[in-house]
Amino acid sequence: MFRRLLLGLVTAIALTGWVSAQAADPVRIGFSISETGLFAPGAAKQIKSYDLWRELVNAKGGLDVAGTKRPVEFVKYDDQSAPANAVKIYEKLITDDKVDLLFPPFGTVMHLAIVPLLERYKFPMVANTASSVHIREIKPGNIWFTSPSIHDKWAEELVKLAKQAGVSRLALLSNAIPPANEVRRFIIPELEKAKIEIVVNEVWPPSINDMTAVLSQVKKAAPDGVIVLSLPNDSVLYTRQANELGIDAKFQFVAIGPAGAAYRKMFGPKLDGIVMLGHWTPERKEWPQAKEFYDAYVAKYNEPPDYLDSALSYISCQVTEQAVAKAGLDLDKLRETISTGTFETINGPIRFKGVENAVLPVSFLQHQGGKIELIWPSSLATAQYKPRSK
Amino acid sequence: MIDILLSEQLLAAAIITGTLYALVALGLNLVYGTMRLLNIAHGELVMLGAYVASSGYNYFGISPLVGVIGAGVLTGLMGAAVYIFLFRNLLVKPELSRRLEANSLLIFFGAIVILQNIVALAFTGTPRGYRYLDGVIHFGGVALTENRLAGFLIAAAICLATAIFLRASIVGVAIKALIQDRRAAGLVGINVDRIQLLSLTLGFSIGGVAGALVSMTQEITPFMGFPYTMAAFVVIILGGLGNLVGGIAAGLVLGFIQIYGVALTSPQWNSILLYGAFVAVLVLRPQGIMRGGRGVR
Repeated sequence: MFRRLLLGLVTAIALTGWVSAQAADPVRIGFSISETGLFAPGAAKQIKSYDLWRELVNAKGGLDVAGTKRPVEFVKYDDQSAPANAVKIYEKLITDDKVDLLFPPFGTVMHLAIVPLLERYKFPMVANTASSVHIREIKPGNIWFTSPSIHDKWAEELVKLAKQAGVSRLALLSNAIPPANEVRRFIIPELEKAKIEIVVNEVWPPSINDMTAVLSQVKKAAPDGVIVLSLPNDSVLYTRQANELGIDAKFQFVAIGPAGAAYRKMFGPKLDGIVMLGHWTPERKEWPQAKEFYDAYVAKYNEPPDYLDSALSYISCQVTEQAVAKAGLDLDKLRETISTGTFETINGPIRFKGVENAVLPVSFLQHQGGKIELIWPSSLATAQYKPRSK
Repeated sequence: MIDILLSEQLLAAAIITGTLYALVALGLNLVYGTMRLLNIAHGELVMLGAYVASSGYNYFGISPLVGVIGAGVLTGLMGAAVYIFLFRNLLVKPELSRRLEANSLLIFFGAIVILQNIVALAFTGTPRGYRYLDGVIHFGGVALTENRLAGFLIAAAICLATAIFLRASIVGVAIKALIQDRRAAGLVGINVDRIQLLSLTLGFSIGGVAGALVSMTQEITPFMGFPYTMAAFVVIILGGLGNLVGGIAAGLVLGFIQIYGVALTSPQWNSILLYGAFVAVLVLRPQGIMRGGRGVR
């Protein structure tokens, strides 16, 4: 009798230990991050959003995996901004590290590189700092773009905004990276259709460190609009040298970078009137989680989030979190849930149609009086577009 | 087009870009010239200098122009420490000394990883920036941001002072002698150890100063150093390895090739022009663009 009791007790203790060990098993989320190289300045904002999300989820007891809370653990590697490295890393994450979930790398170029891998292993991943017409056309089943700014659409909307702003002569300046080339492919016909004359059309390599020759041409041509398809590094260079040379076009669009904290700190009031890519703002009262995210980010990092990259990165975490709560970690169920579900995010509710964000329209932000306002489309705008003052 | 090519603005851009190249390369050349150490972590010294100036301004309100001094002192002390605790011992052992040029590559590669990660841990990888002297001043047909002008003036002053120092001071002559022939310099009574310590300290210090100047005009990250290392190597090879004044001249030449080359062709030709000039010099004049062989003038 005593022996049976003892055996039962030992079995019960062992089972309890096993169950609690299972419950405490972390959910391992893998990703590559561009800690070095061309994309490092942008990726630094992405990882901060990932870290903030993990901290908040773990503080609530962990990630809800179909009803069971489990702590979140990251498995990450530096891809050195090289797409070939990202491919190797994601393959390792799936086959060797055997992670439960994947978060995306930084930027369209890296996303594009790993799409075939996601398809081969049928591993779903919610994208963030990327969009691509090419990917939309090949209709993959394991990637979804939280960004509404698919290149053909944002080219079209940007030309509409420029037209509405009264632009008739425009300088089109661009980094030579593939996403910018894809935008150029669509924006040039749109400008022609809108009868906006392109008076300067220049492309520069990512390594550019002086724009005097290009911007002297712009200054001489005196356009009333400038569109700069840039990454954070060349956005800083453009803004500094355009200010220096006195380029005073009333409409100036600088694609990626101006919504970041360092950029805002460097230029202060000189940014007033700069238009940029972005669809999120904490100012919109209809998105209650937006201000919560903003406050949590500022509290953790003592600086505001990037309204584009930080927001997108956090949104992708939220979509993944809610899909896992419903579907658990079964990849087939997860794919189905992401494809069909609606998710509450800092950018309002989101759902997908194919790879695209089916709710949010292409939007643009503008620096106005020290704040970043959403100015396009009018249905979401927190402020009206204002021409850049001379 | 011709009016842009003849504009003072383009000339100013070429001189400013070239002077910064010259300054960054000067530090690297001092270290290579006197000790044949291939400091591929030179860009990381630029990065450290940038963080010293940026942090001084952002956290303590210290003017970046004062931060320039702080950056130079900090990286200079690092150079002295590296010499005293590492290279001094390696240089006195003949068998290690012979392999030092190749080994220094590995040592400094390790230094890159360590420095980048220390700064990334301390400051995170997020780009940093600050506003300082960002007014635009005009003189003649040239418009320049004040911080860019200040950076240029400091860089030019350091390059000029170094050139004069090498020609006019006994220590400068000793550095030149050491660059020309280390053993002969020792034989004629030069305190090789002390000159090497001074060169490494100065070389590191100049890298830090260049970084502090860069931080006034650019976003900085812990991983910003590599392009500066590359540019510095191109410049010192163009100018002749160990040829300090040649390196300064090569920096300016590179600035002109870059700015006028882009103006004449397109920005996409930037790298082709830079590395094309580099390869051409390697093939046609491997001793560098300045007259004579390796050495100093």
